[in-house]
Amino acid sequence: MLLVLFKESVLFAWQSLTANKLRSFLSLLGITIGIFAIILVFTIVDSLENNIRGSIQSLGNNVVFVQKWPWSFGPDYPWWKYINRPTPQYYELDELQRKCKSTEAIAYRMGKRRTIKYKSSSVENAIVGGISHEFYKIKNFDLTSGRYFMQTETEGGYRVAIIGAEIAQGLFPYEDPIGKEIKIAGNKAVVIGVIKKEGESMLGPSFDYQVLIPFNFARVMMDPKSENADPIIYAKAKPNVTNAEMMDELTGVLRAIRKLKPMSDPNFALNETSLLSKGFDELFDVIGTAGWIIGGFSILVGGFGIANIMFVSVRERTNLIGIQKSLGAKNMFILVQFLSESVMLSCVGGFFGLLLTWIITALGKDAIEMEISLTVTNVILGFTISILIGIISGFIPAYSASQLDPVEAIRSN
Amino acid sequence: MKRPRIISIICIVGYLTIVFTFPQVFSPSIKKLGVFMPALYGILVASHFISCVGLWYFKQWGVQLYLLTFFAKTLFFIVIQQYTPGFYLSTGLSFIFIFILLKYYSKMSQNL
Repeated sequence: MLLVLFKESVLFAWQSLTANKLRSFLSLLGITIGIFAIILVFTIVDSLENNIRGSIQSLGNNVVFVQKWPWSFGPDYPWWKYINRPTPQYYELDELQRKCKSTEAIAYRMGKRRTIKYKSSSVENAIVGGISHEFYKIKNFDLTSGRYFMQTETEGGYRVAIIGAEIAQGLFPYEDPIGKEIKIAGNKAVVIGVIKKEGESMLGPSFDYQVLIPFNFARVMMDPKSENADPIIYAKAKPNVTNAEMMDELTGVLRAIRKLKPMSDPNFALNETSLLSKGFDELFDVIGTAGWIIGGFSILVGGFGIANIMFVSVRERTNLIGIQKSLGAKNMFILVQFLSESVMLSCVGGFFGLLLTWIITALGKDAIEMEISLTVTNVILGFTISILIGIISGFIPAYSASQLDPVEAIRSN
Repeated sequence: MKRPRIISIICIVGYLTIVFTFPQVFSPSIKKLGVFMPALYGILVASHFISCVGLWYFKQWGVQLYLLTFFAKTLFFIVIQQYTPGFYLSTGLSFIFIFILLKYYSKMSQNL
């Protein structure tokens, strides 16, 4: 019985909406814009968040970065204290590897942008990374062809290189790069491996644009003491060892290596990815809240628009309501009829808002080369808001219509 | 019977609360709790609004829905462990409102 009542009410509502097409269109426009604004912001924020979190994850949760500069920038950031600090050195890596018990692997890396050439082809501004042997234990990357460096190659500074997918594509579009001799800033090196394509990274360049070479070969073309080479020592904690425990040990060992007095400040920074995550959490909260406020106002305006249209609709059809009631229509029937009209109107508006968001994200994906996708969560959220707005803005007009006296309603014009 | 002034005040407070709580439905903090949490919270906000309309028309179903919404909302906030000062304030205020509403319950209309 209830289902039949609901079906009839929906049918009445649909007839009313299609009878006044322009009015229906104008009133659903507010909701469309509101849903579009809010869901687009949420979609962009979610996509950015996913991309950045993925990039942070790839850096490793249990990896600590020994660097000159700390990552956390507070309001009283004492840059003058850090500027005279020494950069991490390769000899420190040996000491750390010998003395640290909490680490699974420790690696060194420095890098600089250089031109890579093969015959007449060249790739400019490729990132050349000079690495120590255990680098593969710290950073996760797969090779599509070839192999990783052997210990003798990294320690002996052999002229060998592992190239990223984009570099391989740029230099060897039609041939196999393995065994070919390339020139890195004028220095010959044999390609022994190609890194699997990993795509764009939100945090710095991905491996696709990098060339990895042994550290002792890299020092021919870059100075490890120079800050421009951005030297980093990576330390990965053993399973069941927390980052804090490892950092305590690293601090002690590094202080001993650098012969720092007990009361003096450390002249190195131990950075971990949680610092980045924390910073981005705050940023995303701000962006999300801003989008929520902007979208909220749009939705509110859209809701008022629907309420207004519904009041007009009730006034226009007062006569009809009177006839329906005099023929035996219950209050509930009238209520559901008008309520389903407003919910339907709002849902159609929401649908178009979501459609618009989907189109924009599909177009934007190609334009900014970033993975943006309208998630199921956001689609559910969009429809939830639409239904809710429909109920809230349509209930008072619907209820007032259901309370009309049949005789009075028939008499009205 | 004409709606008493105190009921009108309760309704106006309710409507104002909805204006402020409605945007919370799609706030990042509720969204973070789960896919269906905004929908669940939205149902509570909508039923609170409908109960206020019922009270405005001095109907018994308004009080019934108000009570139901109050308990569901309290349960919701307990489940998500959101014990903010706002939660305590609204719970305290709702208790007072429920006491007043129950006082007038017998005088309200039983019809829809």
